[in-house]
Amino acid sequence: MATTVEPILDNTLDDPDHRSPLVLGDMDYADVTDKVCSIWEADKSPKVWWLVLIMAISMLMMLGGCIGHLLMKGVGVWGNNNPAYWGWPIVNFVFWVGIGHAGTLISAILFLFRQNWRTSINRAAEAMTIFAVICAGTFPGIHIGRVWVFYWLFPVPSEHLAMWPNFRSPLLWDVFAVSTYFTVSLLFWYMGMVPDIATYRDRAKSKIRKLVYGLLSLGWTGSARGWHRYEAAYVILAALATPLVLSVHTIVSFDFAVSQVPGWHTTIFPPYFVAGAIFSGFAMVVTLLVPARKIYGLQNLITIRHLENMNKIIMATGLMVGTAYGIEFFISWYSGVAPERFAFYNRAFGNYWWAYWIMVTCNVFIPQLFWFKFFRTNTIAMVVICIFVNVGMWFERFVITVTSLCRDFLPSSWHYFHPTEIDIMMFIGSFGLFTTLFLLFCRFLPIIAISEVKSILPIKGKDH
Amino acid sequence: MTEKQNQEMEDQKLLGLLAQFEDPVSLVHACNEARESGYNKIDAFSPFPVHGIDPALGIPRTILPFFVLIIGLTGCAVGLGMQYYANAGDWSDLFPGYNFMISGKPFFSLPANIPVTFEVVVLSSAIATFLGMWALNRLPRLANPLHRISRFKRVTNDKFFLLVETKDPKFSREETESQLNQWGASVIEEVHEDLTDQQLPSWLQLVGLMTALILLIPPVLIFRAEGMTNRKPRLHVIPDMDWQEKYKTQTLAPNLGDEKHPVFLFVDGRAMQEPIPGTIARGNLYTDSEYYRGIKSGTESFATLQSAGARTGLQDDASQDKSGQDKPDQDPTADEKPAEPAEPDWVTQFPPNVNVDQALLERGQQRFNIYCSACHGYAGNGDGLVNARAMALAASGQATWTTAKSLNDPEIIKNPVGRIFDTISNGRGTMGPYKSQIPVEDRWAIVAYVRALQGTGLQPVTVTQADEETVEK
Repeated sequence: MATTVEPILDNTLDDPDHRSPLVLGDMDYADVTDKVCSIWEADKSPKVWWLVLIMAISMLMMLGGCIGHLLMKGVGVWGNNNPAYWGWPIVNFVFWVGIGHAGTLISAILFLFRQNWRTSINRAAEAMTIFAVICAGTFPGIHIGRVWVFYWLFPVPSEHLAMWPNFRSPLLWDVFAVSTYFTVSLLFWYMGMVPDIATYRDRAKSKIRKLVYGLLSLGWTGSARGWHRYEAAYVILAALATPLVLSVHTIVSFDFAVSQVPGWHTTIFPPYFVAGAIFSGFAMVVTLLVPARKIYGLQNLITIRHLENMNKIIMATGLMVGTAYGIEFFISWYSGVAPERFAFYNRAFGNYWWAYWIMVTCNVFIPQLFWFKFFRTNTIAMVVICIFVNVGMWFERFVITVTSLCRDFLPSSWHYFHPTEIDIMMFIGSFGLFTTLFLLFCRFLPIIAISEVKSILPIKGKDH
Repeated sequence: MTEKQNQEMEDQKLLGLLAQFEDPVSLVHACNEARESGYNKIDAFSPFPVHGIDPALGIPRTILPFFVLIIGLTGCAVGLGMQYYANAGDWSDLFPGYNFMISGKPFFSLPANIPVTFEVVVLSSAIATFLGMWALNRLPRLANPLHRISRFKRVTNDKFFLLVETKDPKFSREETESQLNQWGASVIEEVHEDLTDQQLPSWLQLVGLMTALILLIPPVLIFRAEGMTNRKPRLHVIPDMDWQEKYKTQTLAPNLGDEKHPVFLFVDGRAMQEPIPGTIARGNLYTDSEYYRGIKSGTESFATLQSAGARTGLQDDASQDKSGQDKPDQDPTADEKPAEPAEPDWVTQFPPNVNVDQALLERGQQRFNIYCSACHGYAGNGDGLVNARAMALAASGQATWTTAKSLNDPEIIKNPVGRIFDTISNGRGTMGPYKSQIPVEDRWAIVAYVRALQGTGLQPVTVTQADEETVEK
């Protein structure tokens, strides 16, 4: 033959003639299985994995030490003090729980919209959700002071307390929202993973692996009846997770919005928080997947097109967040309420002007680079931008929490918030917890949904 | 495979024929053919859900969504009920609800209870979906004869399988095999029953048994402790500030220095100190008996004062009810008039620090009109609006009411000022105490005003027939 069909290398172009392929390199079913399983079947993990794992575990140990110190000494070891009773622990909580949202968005909302490009990234994103929610739950969990009576958060009959939780408090809604979110995300993630764990089971060589993956795969055979019910369950879980993910950050924003503090008491908070959560979550997915695909050679499965799509979502949600910043200022002026006006003037030009402008730069200005295709498709550029986005989103929560509290109704208690070393070490430690879990996940569980990717491969049958 | 194993396989019961296909299209084709040929005990196996396999195998729609709907609705009811019970229900003694009064809002208001209800619905539905799906699939299943076939391991990778069970009425070893070949199967294998699969490894059984035994220890210990008495204090795992490093009353202050040079927090070495001169301890402010109690100082013990202070209407009622129940045979008049406590020595003059002048009387009038006139009337004749309304209700049997006293009653006029002050402070009969609402100086002002009212001797204005006629004209 004189001409051969050139393999498609750039799938970011949209050709109206045919759909751009989502899996490159002309991979068939066995290639997909082999590629994903190679991470787990390799005798040795890459050196980078070990290096990062050692760093992450040391950070995790630091977190454990800080929590121990906190339990012995009490919450006074943090910088939280009158009037800023909510300091870094709440900032970190909102930051982490927001990051989790991208995973559910990819696995549930994009599934309901039949966005097939989600198949390569949903597993890792869901895992990220779960690990982020674990990090998030740690902070309010240790913020309650007497951790040993944490169960008072839940409506358990208690002779000692002789009372029930107040079901009209947004803080209690938070308990329900975050614990439901964690449970549902875990079920969704595990259920989605069972067919792939069955793949691991069928390829396992060692006895321990056979046993562990055999138990975890629950005897999955891939029978047509099994798949039928499995798909029904998947749709139901996606339909449940979609309103759930929107409710979680809405309720988190109620923690602020239901209070009376100027700068918090606004109705824009729920949509603005949800947009911000998806914004930061996608940035985190990109930050994690770009190195992962490079280290494990998954470029044909997690293609540039996947990354570009995520960058487009980051830009869209970034614009929403930017609009919300503007609307907040307009409403505070339009309300004519002096404390409201002061709160927002103080945010931008008060003591914490530096935090505010870091936030605006990272969240509004820098993501505008994604208007250019170069930045959407260059892996290094996108990771840099995404790290800026996450820095900006952390500062957004800091600005909301600290600037409003430090300039509350009583000028005599106005104060400048200072974090302590424990605050800083705990925040760094939470990244250790997150990274450790994610690295172990990469090594021991399928980071790409093998069966889902196979279902979007072009069918090569006799009739086609 | 050794000869012996082969022989074992042959001996075991044949369960069905497993045909392998290379791609999803030929699998769907074969399924269609099999169903049309009349097979119904067939199942297909694939690495991913194959499009079009449900109609090809004739799989009915799963009932999972209805199951989830029912559980979700139950979750909704449970979520709402839990909140109603916990925050608005206070009827059970065992685990009573706790009515939170927050800013005077209703105990149960639906908008505030929607977030938790929603989360409970989602949580219960998600768990129902997850567990329901596995239950309908008859999973988890630890042993499956299909997993004994090494070729079948490719089902989670890249191969597609069709199983025709021997239970199928159309099944026949040779004919089915030739049909499967005809429909495009690349390989056909027999599936045999294997009983050895049904067992867990023996070490795992041991571990399970040991775990179960260890888990039994705590409940056994708790059960044992239930039937035992113990003089030792109970275990106090979390101190919760129950023990504090502080000096207790009636103790010596510990020596902070060494034995030769003792250092005490206080020079006298005691933990407890006399009050600093000029200060008054909490609750000891009312030493000026005439002013604060209306009783001449030094004439009455504290206990008598207590009983005088407790002489409110409500407690009178309660003691009457109780004595009435205990002694039903007694003369009812004896119950109505319980033995009056000995009257203390009331002051008959205003205390020296109450300066009776025009300003005090005006203050007293103002306070009287606010607090007293509702029942006793503006002129003190016992014809206030509350009294009038209550009398009207009492007349029609809708309420019980003791008429407010007329302050111009000769019996009342005889009372010394101290007793009037005490009545305002602590109540009397059905009248409640006002000492928490009215400060001492204002109570004396009211006493002064009451004395002034009694001095006027004003009588209630009665509407005569002549007056009514004047009004009508």
